[in-house]
Amino acid sequence: MMMWVMGSVLFAYAGMLGLCQGLERHYKQVWNRTCPPVLRVGLRAAGWLALLASLVLCALAWGWAMGPVAWFAVMSLAGMVLVLLLPYWPRLAVGLVAAVPVWGLMLL
Amino acid sequence: MKNTFTQSMAWLHTWAGLIFGWLLFAIFVTGTLAVFDKELDHWMQPEIPATEVPQADAARRAIAYLQAHEPQAGNWGISLPSERSPGLRVSTGERRHGPTVQLDPRTGEAIEVRDSVGGNFFFRFHFTLDLPRNWGIFVVGALALVMLAALVTGIVIHKKIFKEFFTFRPNKGQRSWLDFHNASAVLLLPFHLMITYTGLVIFMLIYIPAGVDALFAGDNRAYFQAQGNTRLEQPRGLARQPAALVDVAPLLAQAEARLGPIGGLNIRNPNTAAARIEIRPGLGNRIALGKGQAMVFDGVSGQLLGDVAEWRAAPLTQRVMAGLHFAQFGGYPMRWLYFVCGLVSCLMIASGLVLFCVKRGRKYASAEASVRRWYRVAEVCNVGFVSGLLLACVGLLWASRVLPVELAQRESWEVRAFFGVWLLALLHAGIRPVRRAWVEQLLLTAFLCIGLGALGGLGDAMRLGVVACALVLGVLLGLLAWRVWQAQWVPQKARAGRRMEAGA
Repeated sequence: MMMWVMGSVLFAYAGMLGLCQGLERHYKQVWNRTCPPVLRVGLRAAGWLALLASLVLCALAWGWAMGPVAWFAVMSLAGMVLVLLLPYWPRLAVGLVAAVPVWGLMLL
Repeated sequence: MKNTFTQSMAWLHTWAGLIFGWLLFAIFVTGTLAVFDKELDHWMQPEIPATEVPQADAARRAIAYLQAHEPQAGNWGISLPSERSPGLRVSTGERRHGPTVQLDPRTGEAIEVRDSVGGNFFFRFHFTLDLPRNWGIFVVGALALVMLAALVTGIVIHKKIFKEFFTFRPNKGQRSWLDFHNASAVLLLPFHLMITYTGLVIFMLIYIPAGVDALFAGDNRAYFQAQGNTRLEQPRGLARQPAALVDVAPLLAQAEARLGPIGGLNIRNPNTAAARIEIRPGLGNRIALGKGQAMVFDGVSGQLLGDVAEWRAAPLTQRVMAGLHFAQFGGYPMRWLYFVCGLVSCLMIASGLVLFCVKRGRKYASAEASVRRWYRVAEVCNVGFVSGLLLACVGLLWASRVLPVELAQRESWEVRAFFGVWLLALLHAGIRPVRRAWVEQLLLTAFLCIGLGALGGLGDAMRLGVVACALVLGVLLGLLAWRVWQAQWVPQKARAGRRMEAGA
């Protein structure tokens, strides 16, 4: 169960990060340049997909009754962490997404 | 009157948020702490051993103790050790109102445990503010309505919900406070709305009794029985015939297979032919709050007499909403999610309160004396109700360990310590410059949190968890105090610099 819980948190963070970086203002905040339109659409799509993956992982951890409750909480808290990291350490906030493949390796 | 709709909503949000925010902060903090009420109970009563005894063995020992000491009692209540609450409690009398004895689950011997309000105080304060029960429920219900209004008006007046979804600009004074207030409110909006609304639904029958009044002539018990929670009639004559009690272990196993982890059991008319064994599930086996549910067995033959009732759609909805609020389901990971969400809610309310003063500070500094006095009241209350309440909460934990164990009416002294510390904090805020008051109270709270481990309770994982969590919160509060202290000197230095320029 703990692996699913961790995965749901990481994917929720990745999802929020994708949606955030899909916004002009925040892409510029991290990379100091404008975002190509194709990339912006890609980031947003990836963000929504990651949030969906987080829902599935929550359901694996808690079942389909409790899973969605936890999903809302992990999305909210992941968003909160991102918002607090972004102005202080923008590159770190983006770099944290590297935890997702690490988690994937641990799962194997 | 305010000109536009948005302006009147902003007015309502500002003033309702300020006046009721002080108590709402207290409700949210104690509610957040109540997520770990059993763990705090365990920490506050160090005499209870942390052991892992199989529930069947613990139940047998509890029954042996009751046979030896209370063979004639009409009802035996037994709370079994569980993951979150390793103690074994027995009581006699109806519905936990009788005298309660704590047993060692390993030996079945009674153990002396200090009287303590425990983490249960936070739970009770959360929905009654320690007022008489029904008064408190009405006051807290009214505050919950204000909270809902503040959430809705907040959504109305926040014009850039999606545009500023991820926006936080630190070190910009008022701008930063507003950003943080908005981000913590918007990102956790599902949690805020859920926790406030479901809080109201729990006491639905108290707040809006019209339905039960009309259909059941105001008889709540008749209403619950109509939902299928019928109590099996006890055959009167049999209660006088002595009979041997059946072994509970197989019944516990049967109930556990059906219900999941078991919370405890009641034995009615023990040692008679009318004996009934009611086995209750633990609260966290499903979202719906299963309070009052039990499987009923014949206490002599061990036959199953009554299963748990299946709720119909409407009562089930209410139970699920209550369960969403009580957060007993989903194990420790879910409990932590609720706890951290609760912490962010507290920060959201506190940042709103601070924002009120930050926004008006400069304006009121040049206002006339009477206006300045009201502004000062708001500042003092902010300190006293935010950092003062935190100080009172950690003060209660200290009181539970520091007060002499043999003190008469120890529990009420603990509560007095809580309110005493809170009152002192308010007075302290009243006589100190506001920034100083913030720093001093936050720093003291931080030290008390960090020092909690010095009071003991490092013996087992659960108590260690309480101490470790307090340590982390203490360090965070210390950082916060440091930040407030730092911010204090910047404008003064600037002012000093300006004065020097003027002098030169």
